[in-house]
Amino acid sequence: MKRHGKNKMKAFIKASAAALLIGAALLAGCGQKKQEGGELNLYTWEGMFPQEILTGFEEETGIRIRYSNFSYDEDMLAKLEETEGSEYDLVFADDYIIELVIAEGLAQKLDTAKLENYANLNPVFMSQFYDPQNEYTIPHGAGIPLIVYDPALCPVEITGYEDLWNPALEDNIALTANYRVINGMALKSMGESYNTEDLEVIRRAGDKMEELAPNVRVINDSNTQDFVISGEAAVGYLYTSQVYLAVTARPDLKIVYPKEGLGFGIIAGFIPSKAPNAGAAYAFLDYINQPENAAACFEFLGYYCSNKAAEAHISEEMKDLLILPGDAAKGEIIQTISPEAEDLHAEIWDKFRGACD
Amino acid sequence: MKGREKKDRGRQGVWPLLAPMYAFTLVFVALPVAYMFLLSFLTRAEVWGVTFAFTLENYRRILEPLYLGTFADSFGLAFLSTVLVILIGYPYGYFMARMNAVWKKRMLLLILIPFWTSALIRLYGWIIVFRNNGVLDSLLTALHLTEKPLKLLYTYPAVVVGMVYALLPFMILSVYSSAEKMDWTLVEAALDLGASPARAFWTVTFRLTLPGLLSGVILTFIPSMGLFFVADILGGNKIVLVGSVIQEQLTKGRNQPFAAALSVVLMVFTTLLIRLYRRITGTSKLEGIV
Repeated sequence: MKRHGKNKMKAFIKASAAALLIGAALLAGCGQKKQEGGELNLYTWEGMFPQEILTGFEEETGIRIRYSNFSYDEDMLAKLEETEGSEYDLVFADDYIIELVIAEGLAQKLDTAKLENYANLNPVFMSQFYDPQNEYTIPHGAGIPLIVYDPALCPVEITGYEDLWNPALEDNIALTANYRVINGMALKSMGESYNTEDLEVIRRAGDKMEELAPNVRVINDSNTQDFVISGEAAVGYLYTSQVYLAVTARPDLKIVYPKEGLGFGIIAGFIPSKAPNAGAAYAFLDYINQPENAAACFEFLGYYCSNKAAEAHISEEMKDLLILPGDAAKGEIIQTISPEAEDLHAEIWDKFRGACD
Repeated sequence: MKGREKKDRGRQGVWPLLAPMYAFTLVFVALPVAYMFLLSFLTRAEVWGVTFAFTLENYRRILEPLYLGTFADSFGLAFLSTVLVILIGYPYGYFMARMNAVWKKRMLLLILIPFWTSALIRLYGWIIVFRNNGVLDSLLTALHLTEKPLKLLYTYPAVVVGMVYALLPFMILSVYSSAEKMDWTLVEAALDLGASPARAFWTVTFRLTLPGLLSGVILTFIPSMGLFFVADILGGNKIVLVGSVIQEQLTKGRNQPFAAALSVVLMVFTTLLIRLYRRITGTSKLEGIV
């Protein structure tokens, strides 16, 4: 899932001069590269970490964080290719793009012995297709796109994707703009996989998408929850962080786990192949996986918590939203598919959008 | 300093002075265009990037009904927006030129001040006007013209309003600068010679302001082919323009060659429009832009 939705202020970082004791106490326990300098080049979406975690890390370790952000996973990959994995120390991105990063040799193998808190991670989020042996990545949250609706405005009860095709919902649905996710609703409602490469099946999903068009009010990838919160649309199909914001703002909204099957996406961190300060990256990974810190991260981020030990520290009212429901791990992850299938997805998406008007 | 020396220095001085401009054009215009042109004949790689295999497939794909339709839609929206911009902008520019100096300044400020705010932010202002129970909706309900909220936002008319709003100043300023430097005694002469005001307008004023009007058309039509963010924001992404297809192919679609081919076609198209302008007006300068 793309990490959109939150318009947090750009995480801007100012280490107090006093905290800048270069090299101090960093890399405790990973001794080999003591003189790496006190800098961590962190590369991810904006608003991925709460300010208190960033500042807390800087104060505790004396490492100064330089936070750069990208909007799309693809931008990140292009940047890593360009710099041959040498500019950044730690990157957080989506599952499918990490598969490409690893395939291109742009990530380095992790020495998990350097991570005291490695055991805190929830194995449900690990050993996934992009890194089956957990050699390169540390999960940091997961998302499931879900349907959220306003029972006061919605004339029908919604239990799955199929209900969105109900003519009673004319001009009443807000959608995110990731076409693999949205076209995936049609695929799922047909009992197919997100990742089918059967062009005929994708084409049929496209026809089905066109039937959905009259019900679409708006397509918008960022802050899609606002349309449901404000009543501009009765139903939204939202990314996890947006679901979180929606129900936090309006507890009367209903969340639907579509019965036809769930999508699932994992965000993970990795260290680029030629990271200048790998030691600082380990220190940060360890810091954010201390149970209290991890809880603070996920309460801020609004994605499912991938740190088992942190679950106990998540506040009661947020538990339902941040701890993965037992059966959700059965959800299917969107993966890279053949170029022909990918192109066809882009094509039916444009056709669908055009039909919405 | 003697006059001759001065002259010589001036002649020699031209090249070094122009060099940065040529270098800039080469690096930031010619090279990227050449790169894009080359890219448009390559093949997308299996997962990421491009492979150096020559193909015409990207151009063939543009000929599919879906993408031809996208070009047609973009063209249609640009055409409609331009016509509306002419209808509002031409009279505005014309009458502004006829006002006295004080009012000219005031009218000019009215056009320029909104320019100090980013176009994106001004478009968000339209959302407030158009949204459910927004300004326009409340007004219509208060006047008992409508009963329940109209869904005005995320519709085609909303996009057209946004386009017209964003592009109007270019037309007004072009027409104004043409009308401003026009010799009004010619109109008087036409009237003295017995032309009706309508005929005088058509044979004199209109002809003399035509370069301004046409450069306004160029400045409106070409950008409106590419202003897909207006369609995204006010049209809720439901109106697909060439610009948004290009952006999508570059990012999520990961098909750079196809995006390049679409861009090349768009550029060829706009170049043709500018040539057409030159042919009609017999000048290469666009009126109204400094």
